[in-house]
Amino acid sequence: MTTQVPGDALVSLKAVNKHYGQLHVLKDINLNVRKGEVVVVIGPSGSGKSTLCRAINRLETIDDGDIKIDGKELPAEGKELAKLRADVGMVFQSFNLFAHKTILENVTLGPIKVKGVAKGEADKDAMALLERVGVGHQAPKLPAQLSGGQQQRVAIARALAMKPKVMLFDEPTSALDPEMINEVLDVMVQLAKEGMTMIVVTHEMGFARKAADRVVFMADGQIVEDATPEEFFTNPKSSRAKDFLSKLLTH
Amino acid sequence: MDVIIENLPQYWDGFLRTLFLSLVSGIIALIFGTVLAAARVSPVAALRGFSMVYVEIVRNTPLTIAFFFAAVVLPRLGVTFQQFEVAAIIALSAYTAAFIAEAVRSGVNSVPVGQAEAARSIGMKFSQVLSLIILPQALRTVIPPLINILIALVKNSSVAGAFYVLELFGQGKQLANANGDAVMWVLVGVAFFYLLITIPLGYLASVVERKVAIAR
Repeated sequence: MTTQVPGDALVSLKAVNKHYGQLHVLKDINLNVRKGEVVVVIGPSGSGKSTLCRAINRLETIDDGDIKIDGKELPAEGKELAKLRADVGMVFQSFNLFAHKTILENVTLGPIKVKGVAKGEADKDAMALLERVGVGHQAPKLPAQLSGGQQQRVAIARALAMKPKVMLFDEPTSALDPEMINEVLDVMVQLAKEGMTMIVVTHEMGFARKAADRVVFMADGQIVEDATPEEFFTNPKSSRAKDFLSKLLTH
Repeated sequence: MDVIIENLPQYWDGFLRTLFLSLVSGIIALIFGTVLAAARVSPVAALRGFSMVYVEIVRNTPLTIAFFFAAVVLPRLGVTFQQFEVAAIIALSAYTAAFIAEAVRSGVNSVPVGQAEAARSIGMKFSQVLSLIILPQALRTVIPPLINILIALVKNSSVAGAFYVLELFGQGKQLANANGDAVMWVLVGVAFFYLLITIPLGYLASVVERKVAIAR
């Protein structure tokens, strides 16, 4: 495993454990993500990678251990937690755009209601973001009128509108038709190049190779490997990782 | 038939009072019921508990008990009012709110959980998640049951007639006593005026339902 200085970690998880009843979904997780780093989390389904991602902005609570964002302990429910979440962008597998709001409103709602940005300014920023992810002309439509790939790009714009310190992606392309996956990955690669700190749970090995600084491989609730993509894909150390990679390559 | 036409002023009087009782109680119940539903899904355990206990007790006891409570028990506790109408409004809104809370709660549950997660993840507080994201979307599924509850409220307001409030049913009772030979027609008249409120309500339900439909 790579050694890190915890001091300059933007996201840090220390000895995190979580159970769902009998099931031990996160086992003693230690992970540090530095500013500007892109960490891709991969692993078989049920390995706890989504839970890990959701725990970072406390959509899932943890049993013990601590999670710090930019040096600050993750607060319990309440105003403090809301404030912290505003700094952590999240992109979901199922997009979760607000179904009753237009595309533009989806992006401006956070800045206006949470940050108190004036509507005119929020609209301008939102349009710039929508243009950047290539869906500017869809602004007045409702989410249901867009394709999955377009919706997911809007979801990325919505998260970016809050000017987050870190972006979490929870299987952002898993619900997409194959021909739409690339348009979303392109936006993510671009973000990574611009220096955004990203934690990406995905099955897209191509993205991991192309954009990741580190690959974290999880199995059965544990981090089994933590390596550079080059190292991980060419020379996996654990048998679990070897097994996982061999299954990917057979078809 | 004549008995209806001859006594139109009384009917009209009762009709207006029924309308007033229903309108005021309906508005209070809508607000209180929504607050109860919000409490039921809130992160604060004490609020959830209070809401659940309130709804379960009120929903599962007869309306007459609520009326006795408002008209007899409250005054003994020092809450007095000049007119029984106030007691009727308290009883009707307290009772109806429990049903509205349940309808709104089921509507809240019909909104996919991802909507709330997305709202929370951009930093919204619980009150914002509820008022900006969940309730507007819940509205669509909630309208039909809500209108049903309001129709029931209009009819339930007739219980006030037994507590000295001269609303439609109370007037009907007096008219029936005075016109023993035409009781049937007196009651037909009463029914007619109730329908005058409840049928348009049902119609309103279908119009609003179409208006607030959301595509997914």
